Amino acid sequence: MKRLLQAVLVLLLVSLALFVMLRIVPGNPVAVLMGEHANEATIERLTAELGLDQPIHVQFFRYLGGAIRGDFGTSYSLGKPVSQLMGAAFVNTLLLALAAALFAWIVGGLCGLLAAIRKNSIPDRLFMGFSLLGISMPVFMVAMILQYVFGYWLHWLPISGVSDWRSFILPAIALGWNSAGSIARLVRSTLADTLEDDYIDTARAKGLSETAVIWRHALRNTMLPTVTMMALQLSGLLSGAVITETVFSINGIGRLAVQAINGRDIPLLQGTVLFATALVIFGNLIADLLYKVLDPRTRREVKE
Amino acid sequence: MTKRYRLLSFAALVLAAVMICGCFAGADEEKGLLRTAINYDITTMDVAKTTDDYMIPMNVFDRLFETRVQDGNAVVVPSLCTEYKVSEDGLTYEFTLMDGVVFSNGNALTASDVQYSFERLLILANQNTDIPLEVVGGQDVMDKKTETLEGFKVADDTHFTITLSAPNAGFLAELSSPVMSIVDKESMTDGFGTDPAAMIGTGPYIVTEWVANDHYTMVYNEKYRGPEPTVKKIIVKVIADANTQNLMFQNGELDLIDLKNQDSAIIQSVYKTQYADRMVSAPNVGMIFIALNENNEFLKDVSVRKAIGAAIDVDTIITALYNGDAIRENGIIPTGVWGHNDNLQGFTYDPETAKKLLADAGYTDGQISFEIAVDNALSSTVKTAAEYISQSLNKVGFNTTVKNYDHAAYLDVRRSGTMDSFVASWGMDYNDPANIMVTFFGSEANVKARSLNYPDTAIIARVASAPAIVDDEARKAEYQALEQKIISEDAAWIPLYASMHLWCRGPRVASFTPQWAGFTDFYVTDVVLND
Repeated sequence: MKRLLQAVLVLLLVSLALFVMLRIVPGNPVAVLMGEHANEATIERLTAELGLDQPIHVQFFRYLGGAIRGDFGTSYSLGKPVSQLMGAAFVNTLLLALAAALFAWIVGGLCGLLAAIRKNSIPDRLFMGFSLLGISMPVFMVAMILQYVFGYWLHWLPISGVSDWRSFILPAIALGWNSAGSIARLVRSTLADTLEDDYIDTARAKGLSETAVIWRHALRNTMLPTVTMMALQLSGLLSGAVITETVFSINGIGRLAVQAINGRDIPLLQGTVLFATALVIFGNLIADLLYKVLDPRTRREVKE
Repeated sequence: MTKRYRLLSFAALVLAAVMICGCFAGADEEKGLLRTAINYDITTMDVAKTTDDYMIPMNVFDRLFETRVQDGNAVVVPSLCTEYKVSEDGLTYEFTLMDGVVFSNGNALTASDVQYSFERLLILANQNTDIPLEVVGGQDVMDKKTETLEGFKVADDTHFTITLSAPNAGFLAELSSPVMSIVDKESMTDGFGTDPAAMIGTGPYIVTEWVANDHYTMVYNEKYRGPEPTVKKIIVKVIADANTQNLMFQNGELDLIDLKNQDSAIIQSVYKTQYADRMVSAPNVGMIFIALNENNEFLKDVSVRKAIGAAIDVDTIITALYNGDAIRENGIIPTGVWGHNDNLQGFTYDPETAKKLLADAGYTDGQISFEIAVDNALSSTVKTAAEYISQSLNKVGFNTTVKNYDHAAYLDVRRSGTMDSFVASWGMDYNDPANIMVTFFGSEANVKARSLNYPDTAIIARVASAPAIVDDEARKAEYQALEQKIISEDAAWIPLYASMHLWCRGPRVASFTPQWAGFTDFYVTDVVLND
C-alpha cells in the first residue's frame, strides 16, 4: 500500500514538473500548429480556444481532472484523443518490448550460463566478447546492420514497418541486444561466484549430477539480481524504444513522443511521458514483489 | 541427445525459421500499385488546417484551376472551371463550371459547393484564409458576422461570380493552390480531415485508409472524369529514418523515393551512379535567403547590409554543399515564378569590397556583432550553409554567431520582430510574385512579423498595391522595380540559392513529373507505371 501511494506521488510530481517545464520553455505551440501563414489574430483565438491563455495552475488542475478520468486531452497535431493514439501505439510497443525482452533473457541468460559453466574457456571468452559488443554498440547501429544483412542483403525479413509477426524480429533483436549483453555478464559473474560456494561443493559431494547442481542449487541463487535486472529492463524497453521504433518505422509510444516533441504537441507529450513514467514505476514495483517471492529473507525482514 | 546436439538443433531451428520468413518477405507488389514514403506523418487531410500536407488535397480534390508543368513551364490551366471572364476593372470574375462532374460519393458538383469551400476556409479561420479574404465580405464571414460570402453569387448550378475587394491579377493562380480545393457541401461531417470516409472529392483518387504514423492509402476514384491513370493504388509509408528509406528503395520495397533527406554522399555514391538514368529533378521554386533586421543597431546601416551581400560566396555553397544541385538566386521573385527577372544584378562575391564598405562606414574589425538564427526544423545542409555564411562574414570583419532555435521558439522570436537575422527558406504556394513579395514586404505588420522591420513605408504600400495592377506587363515592371529597390539599393534581403529537389524512380515507374514548385507532394496521375 505504501509503495502504491509512493508511486502515485511520483506520478503526480512528474506530471507537475513536466507541465511547468513545457509551459516555461519559449515558443507558442499554437504558432507551430498554425504554420508560417497564420496571423496574430488567428494564433490568439486558437490559444484561447485551447485554454493556453489560462493561468498555469488552472491549466494543470484541468489537466489533472481529465487525466484521472482517463482523458489526456486531444493531440494538437493529430487531432485525435491522446488516449486513443497511445492505445493504438502501445500494442506495438508492448509486442516489441516483450519480443526484445524474450530475446534478451533467452540469449543473454544462455550465454551467461554457458560462459559460467565453462569459465575461462574459449566459449566463455567468445560469449563475453559478444556481450561486451552488446553493451557497447548503440541501438541504431545494431538496427542498421540487421536491416542491411537480413533485410537488404539476404531478403529474409522486412526492413521496416509492421505487417505481421516477422516485422518484429529485427527490431526485437536490435532493442534487446544491449539488454542481452548486460544479462549475459550478470548471469556469468553471479553464477561463476555461486559455483565456487561451499554449499555447491556439498551438493556435489552428495553425488548430485552437475545438471542438478546448476539448475537446482546454483541458478536459484543467481536469479535474485537477474530477475531484478530483467524487470527493470522490461520497463526500460517499454518506455525507451524511441530509436528502434524510428529506425524500423514502428508506430509505437516512442515515435509518438518524438512526434510530440517536434510539433510541440503538449497533450501528446504529457501523455507519452506520463505513460513511460508509469511503466518505470510499475517495473520497479514488480521487481520488488519478485524479490520477495524469490528471497524469503526479504519477507522475514519486513515482518520483523 | 547430448547437450551439444541439443544446442545445434536449437540453432538450426532458429535459422530455418528465419529462412522460412525470408520466403514471404517483400511480396506485396501488385499491378497498378505505387509505393512511396514520407519522413513524417501528415497532421490532417483537411486542407483548411495545413500549409504542408498537400498530397491528399492535391489528389482527392480538384480546384477551379491547376498549375501544371507544360513544355517545362508552369502554367495555370482550367480544371473544374471551363470558362471565365474578368470585368474591366479586374474586380469581378464570372466562372462556368464543367458539366457532369460528380464527387466520389455520386453527388453532383455545383456552384454552391464552390461557394461553401470558400466560406468554410473563413469560418474555420485557420491557416488558409488569405485567398477567400480577398472576396467582398470575406472579413465579415471570418468575424462570424455572417456565414454567407457577400461577394460570391451563385447564378445556377454551373455559373457563379466572385467579386474581389481589390483587383488581383494573380487571382487565378491563387485559385490553383491546393488550399482552394473544392469540397462537397452535402457530405461534410465533423470527421473531415481525420476520417478517410469523410474525404469526398472530385479528384482521381479516394483515401481508403490512414493509420497514424504508419501509412495512408489512396485508390483510383472510379467516378473520376479524366483519363484513367496507370497508378490504381498508392501507399504512402511513414518512414522517419532516411537510411531505412534508402535500403527499402534499393530492396524494391519503394517505387519512388524522395531524396530530400538523404545524405548528399549517398546521393552521389549510390543514386547518381547506380540509378543515374532514373533520377528525376525539379527546382524547389522558392529560395534560401538571409533576412536582416533593420531595427538592429548595425544592420540598419545599408553599407553593413551590402557588405554582408558581398561577403558570401554563394557559388561555393552550391558546389560544396549541394554538389551543384542548386541554382543561384539574385532577387526576391524566384526562378520559375511569373515575373522573375533574369537580368537582376544580385550581390557579387567580393570580400575586399565587403571589407572596404565596412571600413568606409567607420566600423572596426569585430565591432559589428549579431546573431544568425536558424530554425532547427531546417535541413542539415541549410544549417551547414548558415555556419559557412557566419564564417565568411567573420573573415571580413563581422562578429557573428549561428544560433539554432527550436521551431516553436524560432517562430516566437521572429514574430516578435527582434531576431537580428536569420537564414530561412521559402517555397512558393502559387505562381505569382505576390506570394513572396506581399508575405515579406506587403504591410508593416508583415515586415515586423518576419523580423525585417523594413522602414520604407512607401515601398511597402507599393508592394501591397502591386497585385491590383491588372495589366500583366505593367505589374511585372512594378514588381521588378520594387525588387531592384529592395535588393540593389536597400540590400534589405540577401537572396542565396534555390536547391534542386531530387527523386529516384524504381524500375516499375516509367516516368514521373514533379509538382511545378518541386513540392514533396505530387499529382499521382503524373506517375506512369510500366505495369
